[in-house]
Amino acid sequence: MRNSSELTRREFIVKSVTAISAVYVIPDLIPKAVAAKPLDLEVSAKTKWAINVDVNKCVDGCTACVEACVDENGLYGFDRPETDSQWIRKLRIKDIKTDKVTTLPMMCQHCENPPCVDVCPTGASFRREDGIVMVNQHTCIGCRYCMMACPFKARSFVHENLTEQVTSAPRGKGCVESCNLCVNRIDHGSETTACEEACMKEGHHAITFGDLADPNSRVSLAMQAKPSRRLREDLKLKQRVTYSGF
Amino acid sequence: MSQLIKMLAISIMVFVPISSHSHDGEKHSLIGESKADKLDQCVEPTEVMQKEHFEFLYHQRENTVEKGIRTKNHSLANCIDCHVSYDEKGKAIPVNAEGQFCQTCHVKTAVNIDCFSCHATVPRDNSSKIKSTGYNQNIHIESTANNLVEYYKETNYEK
Ligand code: SF4
Ligand code: SF4
Repeated sequence: MRNSSELTRREFIVKSVTAISAVYVIPDLIPKAVAAKPLDLEVSAKTKWAINVDVNKCVDGCTACVEACVDENGLYGFDRPETDSQWIRKLRIKDIKTDKVTTLPMMCQHCENPPCVDVCPTGASFRREDGIVMVNQHTCIGCRYCMMACPFKARSFVHENLTEQVTSAPRGKGCVESCNLCVNRIDHGSETTACEEACMKEGHHAITFGDLADPNSRVSLAMQAKPSRRLREDLKLKQRVTYSGF
Repeated sequence: MSQLIKMLAISIMVFVPISSHSHDGEKHSLIGESKADKLDQCVEPTEVMQKEHFEFLYHQRENTVEKGIRTKNHSLANCIDCHVSYDEKGKAIPVNAEGQFCQTCHVKTAVNIDCFSCHATVPRDNSSKIKSTGYNQNIHIESTANNLVEYYKETNYEK
């Protein structure tokens, strides 16, 4: 079985080489002139942001999505892996029966029934109309209930004073934070998140972001093309992040 | 707290007659030069800004965080972009450094600024970091996201 996983890896490499030699297509980095949503318009439930991850395309050893997230949100750490913020991390899963190794990116799953929102005493943990679950750091008191409630360990607490925040991602000591689907760039009309963009640039195309409400969006096409499922479906959280291929 | 800030702000208005009714080329910070130095007026009349800038910021922050409204006029990022000073070498000086735009007034009025424990004090772009590592060199943008969908259809999914 090891051989077969070896084969898929080779396949990935071949695929990525083809992708590089083919016309290199990356989405606009710069917000488009015609934004998806005018800047002064409220977000609405007409948009349903979602991510689909194809674990078969995710490459063991690749951390492009994680690095892109760190860059995008200025998530530099203090070399303390136990407590440094992780908005997205790579998991490596080995099937004990077959030895098959699977790796996948894990981030906030943007639950439609988010337990992190249920437990928050201040309403700081909230779900935006378009489905993005995030922390309003102006009202977060740092109690970390949400971290305990989240079944996916998606949230991090900032333990130390920060000084090098990027303009688009304010963050600071005493607040909980997690993946917000690159809310700043999405609101400014970007059609891709940092992790998806990085994954595409690498030629792996494991992460697909988009609007579920639009049947022709990348994520809808991806989910029509193959079965996908949510993690811990038994919890009935209706996550917007789905996984295909296992 | 906001009541206190308001009272303080009002008392400044009353007790410190401020001569800068328009910008008049007057400098906004003791060190360095900012974009705001060259403008006639802020996003609202100067008197209004002096008295109520925090109200605008409070209002904007709820709109932005909860409703995803990203208009520029009352956004803190935009305030900083315009009011940050640059030294002779063109390096941005944090707005909360001594003698800088935010700090000068707030020291005078003894009102602590909380914004900058989380918000960047100079315009700090994330893409500059990516560029500096050479990460996106050799990639040229050929297409828009729409074509990307086409590309995606063709290459990635078994029919
Ligand atoms: S994955 Fe965790 S943090 Fe994200 S919405 Fe669900 S419970 Fe909340
Ligand atoms: S840490 Fe913040 S967001 Fe999480 S439950 Fe407590 S107040 Fe709410």
